[in-house]
Amino acid sequence: MTLSQQQPRPATNVVVVEDDPASADVLQRRLQANGMTVAVGRDGGEGLALVKRIVPDLVLLDVMLPDTDGYDVCLRIKSDGNTSHIPVIFLSARGEVVDKVRGLSCGAADYVTKPWNAAELLARIDAVLAQARSARAPRLERPTTRPARKRPAAAIALADPARRHHAQTLLAPTFDVIEEGGEAADLVLVDAGGMVPTELADDETAVLEVVGDGVAPGPEAARLDDELARDAMLLVRERRIARDLDAAADALITVATALESHDRSTMGHSERVASRAVAIAQVLGLDEQAVRTIRIGALLRDIGNAKLPPALVQKHGGLTAAERELVATHPLHGVEILRGIEPLRSILPIIRSHHERLDGHGYPDRLRADQLPLEVRVVTVADRFEALLVDRADRAAVSEPEAVRILQTAVAQGELDPAVVAALAAQVRSAEGTR
Amino acid sequence: MIASRIASNEPRKEHRFLVNEAVARLALRTAGTYLPLDREDRPYQWSTTTYCDTADWTVLRAEKMGHATQLRLREYHRTRPSEAFTGETLFLEMKDDRPDYGLKERYLVPTETVMSYLRGDRTIESNGDSLLPHMTALVKAGARPVVVTQYNRIAYSSPDGTVRITADHNLMYLAIPWRANSDDAIPCRIGPVIEREPGVIIEVKWFDELPHWADELYSYIRDHMVNERPSKYVVAMRHLLGDHELKGLKA
Repeated sequence: MTLSQQQPRPATNVVVVEDDPASADVLQRRLQANGMTVAVGRDGGEGLALVKRIVPDLVLLDVMLPDTDGYDVCLRIKSDGNTSHIPVIFLSARGEVVDKVRGLSCGAADYVTKPWNAAELLARIDAVLAQARSARAPRLERPTTRPARKRPAAAIALADPARRHHAQTLLAPTFDVIEEGGEAADLVLVDAGGMVPTELADDETAVLEVVGDGVAPGPEAARLDDELARDAMLLVRERRIARDLDAAADALITVATALESHDRSTMGHSERVASRAVAIAQVLGLDEQAVRTIRIGALLRDIGNAKLPPALVQKHGGLTAAERELVATHPLHGVEILRGIEPLRSILPIIRSHHERLDGHGYPDRLRADQLPLEVRVVTVADRFEALLVDRADRAAVSEPEAVRILQTAVAQGELDPAVVAALAAQVRSAEGTR
Repeated sequence: MIASRIASNEPRKEHRFLVNEAVARLALRTAGTYLPLDREDRPYQWSTTTYCDTADWTVLRAEKMGHATQLRLREYHRTRPSEAFTGETLFLEMKDDRPDYGLKERYLVPTETVMSYLRGDRTIESNGDSLLPHMTALVKAGARPVVVTQYNRIAYSSPDGTVRITADHNLMYLAIPWRANSDDAIPCRIGPVIEREPGVIIEVKWFDELPHWADELYSYIRDHMVNERPSKYVVAMRHLLGDHELKGLKA
């Protein structure tokens, strides 16, 4: 088997937050001499901006800064989902035990006191980076065209020839084992923390890490034993289900978008709701699967409108009580339309319940807080928020901050989820800050 | 393991102040001269407190009236956790919160059981004069986690517990994307951060009379504070709902 050429490891990006120019300069030179790319922030605000922009591999952080303290900067890095994985090392003249305890308790990986010794500092940096890299094994993507296969294909990228051979024996009854590059496999086996060969994988390839005997395997890891083929097949099936879900959803979204395009007032609304819902879900730190469910659910939430009279769906202006009653049936119609499509089962609660309220005064089932999944609550908030931003027959559009205030009122009245509205507010604030 | 009652005190006087770092350092140096570090609280450990309320804000509305019984879940960690309900045990606390004093009752429970208490499937037996009936009423009305606070605390306390002075650094108010009061909802990721407190919260708690030195320190803090604070729950909700909405909440 030809093992791939490993990608050359990119230069380590470091952000140094240090207000003393002389100290920053010495540190920068020392790190650059060791092949690192260094950016320096002179205070907490500048440092945070650099961290957000660069998303470095490491932050070296002074404790005493002109505008804030290093503890605060560290907490901000660690409480932002985009930067929380970045290791932080404190560099400080404050060397009392309580200072170190406070720094480490804020989530820092290490605490080095000044004056630092270059050899010790570099050794600590290496140790921290090695730990961070093993926690986030890199995944490389390279789209390729997949040939149709009767059996799934597996590539084995284990470094040790004996382990590679053993893995091949274990997988052969279930998988076609690919020996050469040029064709993306359904599954790639790698050593724990190992690189994924670019010529054997694309963005649909499942990657399974092979861990040692004494290590408990996680969700995408397995041991080199009789269970390997079963674990590998489960992972590949999971990927296929996700692909099928996307394919089924794509077809339906095309239909839903076509329906929406007949009504100029709502054209593009579903896409905006979906984007907003995804942004909220990401602020909340929901996993990839939940975000995918939310996106598809948001896009298809009103597909039940297809079963209502077109004149009613397109009607501008107030509705009569009877019309409102009819419109309130669209979630049930949506469930009827999608019920038979197995891959879309996970989005049915969103379709059915996106007009429910936490206080039980929504429709169609008058469900209460505990009965409404978080994914539903996210779509509900995104839908109401986006609706407030456009002119309607009975009211004018409002600004984003005003729409947040209106939704906060709805939280106070017990209608909406406070955490979801807080995430929306954070997302709106963050977007305003980058404009 | 079943819920065990850890502490139940007589009502104790309690004042909270927001101060800057310099005032906090002086206050801690003074407190450290007269009081030992609290044996129960590891210095600068992280306290994560999840506050519960009903969909129609029973606790918050009562706070507006000046007297509420809070229901909260408290955990301690050496480093800041990004999830709530992560340790093996946590404290299920009820706090009778009034403007000038508080009465706290806490029960150590296994974390895996905490949602069963919130559902009402599991109850703590009352032994008479306790805050447990308030918890029962809140649970019946659908209490669920609504907001979280996290901070580094350093605590000084007299050996007999009559005076306690604490400083809370890095205080943050966070949302909790609660899924359901079901057992598989733990641990629960917390965030986003709704707001950060810019200074340090000093709390002075005492029974009967403050000793002379503490009385002088108390006066010094009052003279140099940024402002006096209501409970952390009220401040958290002010940030969560917006000040305007909190004022408009029907009592």
